Amino acid sequence: MAFERFTKDARATVMAARAEALAAGHATIEAEHLLLALSERPDLQALGLDREQLSYALAAEEERSLAAVGVAASGPDEPIGPRRPRDPQFATSAKLALHRAVSAAAKRGDRRLDARHVLLGVLGAQYGRVPRALQIAEIDVDALRARI
Amino acid sequence: MVDKRMQLTPPTLPEDPADALAAVGALRRLADQVEDAAVERALHDGWSWTDVAEALGVTRQAVHKKHARRLRGTGVGLRRGAR
Repeated sequence: MAFERFTKDARATVMAARAEALAAGHATIEAEHLLLALSERPDLQALGLDREQLSYALAAEEERSLAAVGVAASGPDEPIGPRRPRDPQFATSAKLALHRAVSAAAKRGDRRLDARHVLLGVLGAQYGRVPRALQIAEIDVDALRARI
Repeated sequence: MVDKRMQLTPPTLPEDPADALAAVGALRRLADQVEDAAVERALHDGWSWTDVAEALGVTRQAVHKKHARRLRGTGVGLRRGAR
């Protein structure tokens, strides 16, 4: 991963993704954390990224995936949720998103990799939590990609 | 005496592989969260690291390595004899 080709914005996004995972109490840094970090950027909000919408869609995706195998919230006991943060490490979905970002920059002939390329990388997954959440949010990914 | 008429309803596999595979990831994340919460509650209730490990089916070293640092400063795991 040629981090020296990353712009300041792209590096800030990567660090912000780690902060997202920490804040959520998640054990790993995933593509969804990159997506949330990207949605904090005004330039990408202008293209249609809405953090609240994405957060909700990610939560809904989790609930639906668990419900599909019979796991549902029930009872008056304290809901199980993320606890005190662990030290999250970058996991496969995030690494693949960044690899796709590198490809996207190359395909566009851009020498440096910025936050837009990271977004293209995140949007490039066909399966997994991010595409499923985007579907729940009814986001037209092709249209969004065209605007980037 | 166990009632032979008792039936367990096993979880069913979603037909769409994408849904089924998504469930795997969600269950793993949930398992992590349940483990974090359960370990914290056990220690808070005065369980020893050794007993927590036995209940989880792992070694004391493994559970301590995974959770001790995270829970440091929260006042758990400090029971006398909980080394």
